[in-house]
Amino acid sequence: MSQRLSTYTLQLLLYGVLATPLVLFAVYAFSERWFFPALVPQEWTASPFARLLSDRRTLQGLGESLSIAAAASLLSLAISFPAARTLGLRAFRGRQAAWLAFFVPTVVPPLAIGMGLNIFFLQIGLAGSMLGVTLAHLVPTLPYTIFTLSSVFARYDENYEHQALALGANPVQIFFRITLRLVFPGLVVAGLFAFLISWSQYLLTLLIGGGRVLTLPMLLFSSVSGGNPASIAALSLLFVTPPVLVIAATARYLGQHGAAVQEQY
Amino acid sequence: MKRYLSLLILFSFLLSACSGVVQSRSTTFDLNDWDSVVNAAKGQTVNWYIWGGSESINRFVDDFYGKALKERYDITLNRVPVADTVDAVNQVLSEKEAGKDPGAVDLIWINGENFFTLKQANLLYPDWARKLPNSALVNWENPAVNLDFGNPVDNLESPWSSAQFQLIYDSARMQPEDLPRSYTELKEWVVQNPGRFTYIAPGPGGFQGTRFVKGALYEISGGAEPWSAFDQATWDQWSPQLWGYFNEIKPYLWRQGETYPKDENELHSLFANNEVDFSITQAIVGAGALIEQGLVPETARAFVFDQYMIGDFNYVAIPANAPNKAAALVLANLLLDPELQAAQILPENGFGLGFGIDVNRVTDPEDKALLEAAAQKLGQAATPAEDLASSLVGDTAPQYQSLVEEGWRQYVLQGQ
Repeated sequence: MSQRLSTYTLQLLLYGVLATPLVLFAVYAFSERWFFPALVPQEWTASPFARLLSDRRTLQGLGESLSIAAAASLLSLAISFPAARTLGLRAFRGRQAAWLAFFVPTVVPPLAIGMGLNIFFLQIGLAGSMLGVTLAHLVPTLPYTIFTLSSVFARYDENYEHQALALGANPVQIFFRITLRLVFPGLVVAGLFAFLISWSQYLLTLLIGGGRVLTLPMLLFSSVSGGNPASIAALSLLFVTPPVLVIAATARYLGQHGAAVQEQY
Repeated sequence: MKRYLSLLILFSFLLSACSGVVQSRSTTFDLNDWDSVVNAAKGQTVNWYIWGGSESINRFVDDFYGKALKERYDITLNRVPVADTVDAVNQVLSEKEAGKDPGAVDLIWINGENFFTLKQANLLYPDWARKLPNSALVNWENPAVNLDFGNPVDNLESPWSSAQFQLIYDSARMQPEDLPRSYTELKEWVVQNPGRFTYIAPGPGGFQGTRFVKGALYEISGGAEPWSAFDQATWDQWSPQLWGYFNEIKPYLWRQGETYPKDENELHSLFANNEVDFSITQAIVGAGALIEQGLVPETARAFVFDQYMIGDFNYVAIPANAPNKAAALVLANLLLDPELQAAQILPENGFGLGFGIDVNRVTDPEDKALLEAAAQKLGQAATPAEDLASSLVGDTAPQYQSLVEEGWRQYVLQGQ
């Protein structure tokens, strides 16, 4: 009984730690001139939010952030799928080296990657475009999708495909009806990672976008440099909303399909 | 197979949606024929890279210049907010390295070391600032205008607004007669009120801190004039006393001077939260714009010492590889428009910096009345105009900038 109680307390504490920054953001976003030693805001206002939502740039930032993150996750999945399949299913010479090569972008400072990429992209005319920024975001997202998917493929049984082949299915049918369905939950998780990583990129977007691609982190950083707590909080709330929704949707999907996933293994 | 196709289509759609590169047509114009500039600029989009940290400045730019550009000249303003002007400078530098022409940047809000960087690298569009029609309203004879941090402007940039170093106090906490009015009095005040004063750390990004230290240098050496030209011997003579002053007040500063706020916003926050009693501003409206933004209490007021309050101008510059030079020129000219100059100093419009033009050069009586009326409406949070004028001095020669910043770090911050 007491053990259950302490688990419960721990749980509550954890939720508290996770929720506190969000609650603070919410309070700050609706307060004005909230200075020490006042414990609660003396003036309440919705004007930071009204200003934020009436600014064309906010909506543009939201739109560009969403399209770049969505495109980067889809591209990332498409590219890492074959790589992860090979890494997860095959033993071959140089496999360790391949792992390492895929891992490198997570340890090389993004500034080094960004500077080099920027010069290259400027030369080929991709700098300052959303396509360029999306491609640049693949650098940090690919390692995560490859690792997530290869662990999915490590537990994947190819015999299902062989069986389908024996029963007369063509490769396209096998891909859509067997492979894709078996690894779909893994794809969702990998896509989620890619989305979240692309969503929070600042440096790569700044370097490659050259200020012309306007994502929410760009707006957030420039607002933070201005030091107005209410505007920063309002923008931050807007910034965390889509990832929270995406995570919630994923969790719900995996919860519903969890039983089906387990059945496969 | 059908599914395969639809996936492919979806993909190519996504890719095509991503490749929205801004294209603009290049048109020729002659700088000596202003009409040709205006004609060439018609329909262009001007990419103005501008520090985006202040929401109220952003709104002012969009509401006043964005609308005027569209209505009067059929030019679209694309305000590109950067967290630091050096980001825009780096963009131009990497474009140079990649040999990219036309580039992305049409106009940059700039001064000081960022201007110096681009000027040295020869990356600025030359010989234009005095050819703007409204440039006749600028007092180019004034050294504060034709020198940017002591560096000759050389027709490479055009002024937008002016600023002057001031201090902020809270009238709910202190009375005007108790305020220190010189660096000597400030020292006494700091010793009597330990922990209640600090200043912005001098250095890149903390230029107000550098300015604060330079003001002390002027007072200690007894004048601003010797510092307008560089002389190593003068520096060697006075700098030990300068570091002496700051080391004497150091133990009485906020957190015993072990750490300093890195920019204006950090100091405003310390001041607003009653940790220290003074803040620093450069705005002509004093604390007015900060009060409007809710960054400081409504009782905040600006004041100056009796002497040595450094003032200067800030500018816009056009990179040599700017894709829409004509539109950039039109915008730079619009910034000096008397009507908009009058609008920019009013606290309620949220910009809050001073005139870039010389009001005495405006001949149109209507414009003149507008400018004078605006100067009367700076509000009670501003420093009285006569105090600003009597304490105004120019900045030092540019060589002193890094000497002050590095010397301060070595002898004051690290305390050797």
